[in-house]
Amino acid sequence: MRLELGKVFIKDMQFSDQTMVKDGTLYINKQELLNAISGDDRIQHIELDIAKPGEATRIMPVKDVIEPRVKVEGPGGIFPGVLNKADVVGSGKTNVLKGAAVVTTGKIVGFQEGIIDMSGIGAEYTPFSKTCNLVITCTPIDKLQQHEHEQAIRFIGLKAANYLGEAARNVNPDETKVYETLPFAEGIKQYPDLPKVAYVYMLQTQGLLHDTYVYGVDAKKIIPTIIYPTEVMDGAILSGNCVSACDKNPTYNHCNNPVIEDLYERHGKDYNFVGVIITNENITLMEKERSSNWTAKLAEFLSLDAVIISEEGFGNPDTDLMMNCKKISAKGIKTVLITDEYAGRDGASQSLADADKAADAVVTAGNANEVIELPAMKKIIGYTEPADTIAGGFAGSLRPDGSIVAELQVITGATSELGFNKLSAAQL
Amino acid sequence: MVKEIERAGIPVVHICTIVPISLTVGANRIVPAVAIPHPLGNPTLSKDDEKKLRRGIVEKALKALQTEVHGQTVFDK
Repeated sequence: MRLELGKVFIKDMQFSDQTMVKDGTLYINKQELLNAISGDDRIQHIELDIAKPGEATRIMPVKDVIEPRVKVEGPGGIFPGVLNKADVVGSGKTNVLKGAAVVTTGKIVGFQEGIIDMSGIGAEYTPFSKTCNLVITCTPIDKLQQHEHEQAIRFIGLKAANYLGEAARNVNPDETKVYETLPFAEGIKQYPDLPKVAYVYMLQTQGLLHDTYVYGVDAKKIIPTIIYPTEVMDGAILSGNCVSACDKNPTYNHCNNPVIEDLYERHGKDYNFVGVIITNENITLMEKERSSNWTAKLAEFLSLDAVIISEEGFGNPDTDLMMNCKKISAKGIKTVLITDEYAGRDGASQSLADADKAADAVVTAGNANEVIELPAMKKIIGYTEPADTIAGGFAGSLRPDGSIVAELQVITGATSELGFNKLSAAQL
Repeated sequence: MVKEIERAGIPVVHICTIVPISLTVGANRIVPAVAIPHPLGNPTLSKDDEKKLRRGIVEKALKALQTEVHGQTVFDK
């Protein structure tokens, strides 16, 4: 499966009377966009804003971040099984508005939502302070149930990204990158002397607003399976998560998964990157046992030499991570884990809820309990009141002057376990 | 909490959904629970069946409390 990813670089975003890309600026017809995303009677009002890097703007509570993409050639459309038919995506050509993002906010859905600051210290901690953001503030009707609210906002965000992505359809990309994964048997023959490496991609699926979708399927209901890495770039996996903001994977991060990018970068040089195993993080021990048995079985079936395993979220998923590690290692396959830490505000506590001797190569994306101070911002998109109640906040997090003191956990994407940020740690 | 209470000389049964975490933390008597969002119940059962399930877990825990153990023990029978 071969995908050409055409990057159209976006350096500015403005409302205008026509939606188009010109000289690196994404112009957006506000009314046309509103028409494209309106119509859900569970939402009584939608407000559109633009937030640019460097502005004194705070967006919160952030639910999801989505990158506008469009399929230019090849089967299917972006977000298959959700906005488009369930065609197999990941081949042909896709154009992406690199540097633009859709951010969804509004009244809080679940307690685990995040903050994006466009300037100041908070901006250093989130990758989405560097993108030009089309921010959608949704006001639900009264007494809307949380899961309905979540679904309504999720679809509005996806539709907005889909609408904006269309602006890239007839634009010549500034840069094109080609990604290719051969069918397994051919792939093995391509680089017979290189170690066969796959990526075990753990998806947050605990339910109750902690959900991820694969081709529209609620991933808590899948048994682990194999997916071409380029399918992920076309939006085959998307987030319906209200999990701690720092280490959930927004839809943007799925499409831009750095583990996949880097494995492709070293494919044919250091490794033979044979593909991706997706698995879930469920809520009973039996489900955890079953899914980790399957990842190990698939890793063995693919005759792998090594895997990289990334976690999403923390707490009981640490057990899924350890089970995957232990069972895959027991097959004689090397493992490297990517996680983050909840090591207490002083960093002295046990970092993960679970551990195993087999986990002897672990990369961290930072300590989510670290306390940070965010200065007041001139402009607020959304509501600051949830600062005291979102995961990572506490009574008194929101100060009278508008500044916020809270754990790093509150920042969207701060400790991305896909490595989609800058934080990590080194052993001294 | 399990470890600190035991350190004070009082035996503890840890009723816990994700047994491996309990083992990692160092509990000695572990009784498996139902699921993370509802460790001691199951909203998909009828009220009568759920009561049976709940009583079963409590009785198992009480029995575990009275059972002598040598090292970490999971009461999953």
